[in-house]
Amino acid sequence: MSMIEIERINTYYGDSHVLFDVSMVVREREVVALLGRNGAGKSTTLKTLAGVLHPRSGTIRFEGEPIELLPSHKIARLGLQLVPEERRIFGGLTVEENLDLAALSAPAPLPLAEIFAIFPRLRERRGSYGRSLSGGEQQMLTIARALIRRPRLILLDEPFEGLAVIIVQNLLEVCRQLVAQGQTIVIVEQNVRAALSLASRAYVLNNGHVVFEGTSEALQASPDVMNRYLGV
Amino acid sequence: MPTLPQFLSQAFNGIALGSLLALVASGLSIILGTLGVLNFAHGAMFMLGAYTAFVVLGHWDSFAIALALGALVLVLVGFATERGLIRFYYSRPKEDQILVTFGLGIMMVEAVRYVFGSLSQPVPLPSWGQGIVNLGFFIFPLYRVEVIGIVAVLLFTFYQLLYRTRIGLVVRAGIEDPLMVELLGTHVRRVFMVVFTIGAMAAGIAGVIYAPLAAVIPNMGEPFLVQCFVVVVIGGLGSFPGAVVGGIVVGEILSLTTLFDPAYSQAAIYAVMALVLIVRPRGLFGTMGRA
Amino acid sequence: MGGSNRRRLKRWLPELSMAIALVILPFVFDTWLGSVDLFTRILIWGIFGLGFDLLFGRTGLLSFGQGAFYGTGGFVTAYLLTSGRMDNVWLALAAGVAAAALFSVFVGLLALRRVGIYFAMITLAFGELSFFLENSPLSRWTGGENGLPGVPAPSIQIGGLDYSFAGSWPSYQLIAGFYFIGFVFARFVVLSPVGSVLTAIQQNPQRTAALGHDVAAYKLTVFVLAAIFAGCGGALLGIFQSYMPPDAFGLDTSGQLVIQTVIGGAGTLIGPAVGAAIWLTLRDLLQQVPAIGDLWKFILGLVFVLLVTFMPNGVVGNIIRVWLRFGFRPAVATGTDRPGDVTAREALLAPLPTAIAPSLPPRLALDVRDISKAYGGIQAVDRVSLALPEGRLHAIIGPNGAGKSTFLRLLACEETPDSGEILLHGIDVAAADVTAAYQYGLAKSYQINQLFPQLTMRQNLRIGALGRHRGRLRLDIFRPADGFAKVEDIVAALLEELGLTECADLVVSTLPYGEKRRLELGLALASQPSVLLLDEPLAGLSAVEREGVKQLIRNLRKGRTIILVEHDMDAVFELAERITVLHEGRKLAEGTPNEISGDPLVKQAYLGGMTVP
Repeated sequence: MSMIEIERINTYYGDSHVLFDVSMVVREREVVALLGRNGAGKSTTLKTLAGVLHPRSGTIRFEGEPIELLPSHKIARLGLQLVPEERRIFGGLTVEENLDLAALSAPAPLPLAEIFAIFPRLRERRGSYGRSLSGGEQQMLTIARALIRRPRLILLDEPFEGLAVIIVQNLLEVCRQLVAQGQTIVIVEQNVRAALSLASRAYVLNNGHVVFEGTSEALQASPDVMNRYLGV
Repeated sequence: MPTLPQFLSQAFNGIALGSLLALVASGLSIILGTLGVLNFAHGAMFMLGAYTAFVVLGHWDSFAIALALGALVLVLVGFATERGLIRFYYSRPKEDQILVTFGLGIMMVEAVRYVFGSLSQPVPLPSWGQGIVNLGFFIFPLYRVEVIGIVAVLLFTFYQLLYRTRIGLVVRAGIEDPLMVELLGTHVRRVFMVVFTIGAMAAGIAGVIYAPLAAVIPNMGEPFLVQCFVVVVIGGLGSFPGAVVGGIVVGEILSLTTLFDPAYSQAAIYAVMALVLIVRPRGLFGTMGRA
Repeated sequence: MGGSNRRRLKRWLPELSMAIALVILPFVFDTWLGSVDLFTRILIWGIFGLGFDLLFGRTGLLSFGQGAFYGTGGFVTAYLLTSGRMDNVWLALAAGVAAAALFSVFVGLLALRRVGIYFAMITLAFGELSFFLENSPLSRWTGGENGLPGVPAPSIQIGGLDYSFAGSWPSYQLIAGFYFIGFVFARFVVLSPVGSVLTAIQQNPQRTAALGHDVAAYKLTVFVLAAIFAGCGGALLGIFQSYMPPDAFGLDTSGQLVIQTVIGGAGTLIGPAVGAAIWLTLRDLLQQVPAIGDLWKFILGLVFVLLVTFMPNGVVGNIIRVWLRFGFRPAVATGTDRPGDVTAREALLAPLPTAIAPSLPPRLALDVRDISKAYGGIQAVDRVSLALPEGRLHAIIGPNGAGKSTFLRLLACEETPDSGEILLHGIDVAAADVTAAYQYGLAKSYQINQLFPQLTMRQNLRIGALGRHRGRLRLDIFRPADGFAKVEDIVAALLEELGLTECADLVVSTLPYGEKRRLELGLALASQPSVLLLDEPLAGLSAVEREGVKQLIRNLRKGRTIILVEHDMDAVFELAERITVLHEGRKLAEGTPNEISGDPLVKQAYLGGMTVP
């Protein structure tokens, strides 16, 4: 069974039509990449999935249940977790408090020890306030906040943006481990190579329309698609 | 030129007054920071606490009961207000929220005036609050010492609530980024009700404590409301430490300036407020602020 | 009746009706209630409220401290007259009003630094401050708790006529006269360009500033105007009662003003008077009902809460809504339509010359030199330079996080760069604000529509064009909003150019997205800029709409320099002469579209090569 079935959704920002009949499928234990230039609608798709936005038409099924009209907190409780693009760390809370908050509504949260095992850096900084963390540490924390909830599906929105190469490599390694453990992931990334190194399938969006759907290999073997929709 | 004992006495009064202000202002500030609503009825809620004390102490000689009932009355009023009125206003413009709480405040004051009349109702000092503390070089009323003690305990409890409980965690996070709190599975709106109720309760308890100290009249909350606004502007919107520090500062200014010229003491706090607005508009502890 | 006569009647109908009402209504009050005094009181609140309605109803600034100015006007006038320092009542009145105005400048400069909730709190605090000052420190002059009794009434001596305004009816005549003058004046303000700017500030203050209007100055102006009305009302109160009461300063007064305005209807000018009528008559009525008696204020408070909840437009506001629904249109300045002459239009819309022209060739419209901007520890823009000759269409592209938005914000003067210069026709505008930038001929069209949703298309564009033609601040209160022929011509030409003539007089919030997006472009064009910044102009448009806007952009090129930020690569390559690629805050490449599409570095940046795992 598919974990996510998006069927012809149309999302608007106010009355700006941003997603046009977008359809997507994500199966359990898959990693799917959502690619495209910015403005293409990738983040909008993730936000619609997470309930931050609601589509005007179309359906979204999560493990068979329709969720397109649910508020975001209910969707999070169902096990669909968005890791937002801006990271959105609570600057006035400590690292540990950020994690505690995330664990609050989770029925069986991951123990802190395990989180720190994945991100040892966060253990070092557990008492620091969110606002004092570096970009890379914030990204680790925002991913950790998602992981602590043991989500069925993680939506990663531009996790590598603005980070140094070394940190990106670190995070990619974490992601690979998660994949190996069977975590289902949808990743939005402008760094196409990084995204395709993780994902088995990819969708490409352009101006709110799906223009490509297929395996990563198929995409990489289509330089014309890559150039037309991902390059310049 | 004031003498040292006079100065100390007033400085001490300033802490007593300031701590009460801090208690009332914390409630207002947290409501403002979390819900984004400026509760113009906050002074009226303070007044309701004082009248509860008057009613209770007319029948039982227990200040504890007065405090408990005062808290209870305000919990009910706060709950009813938030559920019955305020929550319909979250998506309306700020000006509408101000107007409706302003109207509500008038209704509360007038209802009390109708029942109790406009004359000042005397509220006796509790038996354990009568008398003075004599330190030799200066003396001050025992009750005021106790006030500081009680309020300190309450503020400490408030602090614990905010910083050590799950609800407090949600409130502090919700002040910063309510959308992210929702994305982490917690429905922020449900917390709003608790926050408003606790804020109202804080105001009511402060009213109970204040009742033996001054005239209990229907619009006794009005000066407190305005002074709370000054505290929030000085301390910073949505900030608990800001409300506490701001409250003490305002209390001290009010008390100490009466040493020099009582007529100007009120003007002095507004002068400080104006200064803060010029030099540091977001207040001592404020962040960006929603206003 | 001819068209212009009809318009003239529409324009003056309210004033005419007001004059008639002021003649007839007092007799109604006199007959029913035995005295015209209640109506006089209502009108005093009405005068107070005219100014408040301009402040709150029109500009959206909710002040809880207007009593400060009401009291100042009242007490200065009363003191001057009762202490014998002045004999002439008219002069004393003028002095009171002047004092109120002066005080309001001081309060305004402090309070207007904040908006919304803070503004309400601060004005409330100042109101209370004046109350305390009046009660204690200044009680020697104000009479403290007792107020000032014995305020005389004014009189007129002209030729052989000697008329004193003392007594019930003469008092009414005096105050009705003032109310009428105040109403006419307030109407002038509302119908003037100043009124349009105030309305714009209420709906979208940031865009108003970006369209060349000095928002802070306009706010202070209306704040002082409100204080002038308040001071006048207060002075007249003292004269009417022969006594100046101390509670004029209090929160009760300021609060009652707010309540009456909301009940009557904010933004209608007569709302405060109607609200006062309702409040005062209900008060008198309810108090006489034995079952209610002292509960009258509670009931009025309840009525107020219910009104705010269910009928926020107030009594008059709702009447006007019903009126409009039945097809009666107010005298909105509609302008005249021009024939579709393209060359004439182009001439009309051509860029205005900027203040100083550089004398050194080549003529660079925009010369950006090494600008940088950092936030926290992150360098969003890192020493980027750009040299644009006049007439160039230049695109800026780059992957997410490249710094494009920040760069554009710096160019638009929304923020100041940490270092570097931005020379617009030789003038350094790096440190200028958006208002100044607009006046210099630099305009931006926003990614997310920043419009005035409750105004018509025409009114929106007028706000933009007025900004350039009137400058940052102009207090042309006696001019109608459509009184600049040149501005009206430009607006008509813009509507034509954007293809919006058909919906010119429709309210923007009712229109579909495509039209709104074109209006967004139009607002930037309205200043006849020489440099135009377009931030994702095609965002959210359908394929057909995109073609339309692309053609529009092509048409706009004449004599204009355009910087385009877009993600629609096809459009970028079709339109742009040259392209700059930003990456991680730095300029990665620059060249013609062909050069850019063939550049391996650019490819890598887009496909993620720079941070290869």
